[in-house]
Amino acid sequence: MRISDYIGQACGNLWKKKLRTFLTTSGVVIGVGALVCMLAFGQGIQRNVTDQFKKLDLFNYVNVFAAGGPDRPGESSDPDDDGGRRAEHGRRRGGPVPDANQPSPRLDAQALERIGEIDGVEAAFPEMRFPAQIRLGAKELFTLVQVLPADVGRSGLITLRSGACYASNEPNELVISDSLLHRLGVKDPETALGTKIEVATLTLDFSFTRLLQMVFSSGGQALPFARENYAFTVVGVAGRMGFMGPLPMQSDVLIPPGAAAKMRKLSLTSVWDLFAPSGGTASYSAVTVKVKSPQQVEPVKKEIESQGFRTFALMDQLEQMRIGFLIMDMFLIAVGMIGITVASLGIVNTMVMSILERYREIGIMKAVGATDGDVQRIFLFESGTIGLLGGLFGLSLGWAVSMVINEVINILMARQGAPRMDYFSFPWWLCLGAILFSILVSLLAGVYPTRRAARVDPVVALRHD
Amino acid sequence: MDVDEFIETKDLAKVYTFGTVEVAALRAVTLSVARGRLVGVTGASGSGKSTLVNLLGGLDRPSSGSIRVDGRLVSDLSKKELALYRRNTVGMIFQSFNLVNAYTAVENVAFPLLFAGVAKSERLRRAEELLVTVGLEARKDHRPTELSGGEQQRVAIARALVNRPQILLADEPTGNLDSKTSRQIVEILANLNKHQGLTVVMISHEKDLLREFADELIGLHDGAVVDREVLRQPL
Ligand SMILES: Nc1ncnc2c1ncn2[C@@H]1O[C@H](COP(=O)(O)OP(=O)(O)OP(=O)(O)O)[C@@H](O)[C@H]1O
Ligand SMILES: [Mg+2]
Repeated sequence: MRISDYIGQACGNLWKKKLRTFLTTSGVVIGVGALVCMLAFGQGIQRNVTDQFKKLDLFNYVNVFAAGGPDRPGESSDPDDDGGRRAEHGRRRGGPVPDANQPSPRLDAQALERIGEIDGVEAAFPEMRFPAQIRLGAKELFTLVQVLPADVGRSGLITLRSGACYASNEPNELVISDSLLHRLGVKDPETALGTKIEVATLTLDFSFTRLLQMVFSSGGQALPFARENYAFTVVGVAGRMGFMGPLPMQSDVLIPPGAAAKMRKLSLTSVWDLFAPSGGTASYSAVTVKVKSPQQVEPVKKEIESQGFRTFALMDQLEQMRIGFLIMDMFLIAVGMIGITVASLGIVNTMVMSILERYREIGIMKAVGATDGDVQRIFLFESGTIGLLGGLFGLSLGWAVSMVINEVINILMARQGAPRMDYFSFPWWLCLGAILFSILVSLLAGVYPTRRAARVDPVVALRHD
Repeated sequence: MDVDEFIETKDLAKVYTFGTVEVAALRAVTLSVARGRLVGVTGASGSGKSTLVNLLGGLDRPSSGSIRVDGRLVSDLSKKELALYRRNTVGMIFQSFNLVNAYTAVENVAFPLLFAGVAKSERLRRAEELLVTVGLEARKDHRPTELSGGEQQRVAIARALVNRPQILLADEPTGNLDSKTSRQIVEILANLNKHQGLTVVMISHEKDLLREFADELIGLHDGAVVDREVLRQPL
């Protein structure tokens, strides 16, 4: 038999049973559509994260921690617990552990300077963050304020939508993210330049009167905290800051160190800060290092580690991330396979029915010289055609549905001030794979029924009834 | 047995088993048919006529014994070879016509050529040619349900001829037809036998028609040949 005849037979026979073909194919369409949607979503997330990392240069960053970490009170005068967590992480992830007897070096201004001089380092700055209330007009929000030196801020590290980073370390000026502005009720971030914003910190107040107040207050209102307000001027608006960005951009507000030094602040997230000696030379809980290219990450890390510090680079996490995405894909496939399984049972059913109906016709085929293989292939082409149609229309359906979902997510996210993005991705291999997979599943579903067809005894099939 | 014989069976037997019960449909049938003969097969219902014809046509395999056609041992062919034997060497006609109802007359006639790998245009050309031979060119686009019994049987004859077989096997081709139509059908078969040299084996209950057209008669009873009558000597 010719291939064109197999195709012609399959199409002709399916066309004769339009409704049944339509219903069976619909099952496949829905199954493939769901699977495609799932996988496209997985791919979309993967692409967005990786693109984001690339765009934000995330693979160009190395985090440095003091070898002892903030576990030793007194070493950490910087109010940042985040660094502590990172240090834990860094410890677990390894890096040479310095001799326990040898005192680990302090991560202070001198160390920062030395790290900044390492070949391949573009910038190094301490990680200092504290929680604060940001107030604009009647709106007040809680956020983490990052202290960033002016020279680092002006080095092109952050992308500004408007304005510029503060020129020196002293003025009460800040850079704010457009999403925070949005949440503060500013519609057009361009207009925010020059606006006065109030930054309020909470400090511990162990004064005698305060303690008395605490003891005798009934509502628990009077915790030993004092609120201090500082006025800042918006000089720059940064786009796209958020948790996925590198350290300077993980906060929605950046202020210069000089201004920060004048503030009384308390980290609510760092217990150690409560016991930190006031004064003395500051050592940082963490330092962020930006290297010139991802290839520089390894040598720079080695060099910093040889100085006795711990490091952490996202670059190292790449493999971990890939595995994570793989697991996510597996999960999405598993869910998507439910629909495919149901659809393939539909195909089995349709093929069994069709073969029962055409029992006599199969007998005729054999009587006029069809081999078992001819008969089996005629029916396999039918289920394969169902698979092809199901794959094509399923892909279209999956694409259409994902477009709708994408639109809905974007509308919802726009209210949160998030920028527009594509949450689904359709790489060519996904499209082609969906169609081929649909055909493959349909052929597999056809194996049992078509083998039955091939084994029909013509004598029995042709006996007049 | 004569070496020149075209179809030869030797101790041909067919046993059907239902669990523990065995039905012997044919027992030790030894017969031979020379090329170009028209042989009539008669016998009571259940005597094994259809079984014999199905074995000769390669639709079924004997339980024991052998079938030789044109020197080839049909009973030893593989499944695939047997399919090719059915395709190229024999044409079969049945009492219930066995046409595909979804196909038109011309499509039914062309059907066997599909498996032979013949191109579509050639398939239709040959099918139409054969419909002319059986006088049905005007009905070529009609479906079996739109044709009379006699017309359907003529379509079936055309289909049996489309692969240019050497043997035509007819299992009660007139069983569903009135006597006038029966006569027409047998005449067509007899003509094919006389003018195209086809060897024809035809089962029929109509003794008169057989006596008129057949060269010899084989009588079956209870799965065995009980009677053999030569009506016309080979030339
Ligand atoms: N596929 C089968 N399975 C089981 N038994 C069968 C089968 N085919 C035929 N038989 C049995 O074999 C015997 C011979 O059957 P066969 O069909 O050859 O008879 P027949 O002479 O053609 O009869 P009829 O004139 O009624 O067509 C019968 O007893 C029948 O029941
Ligand atoms: Mg019979």
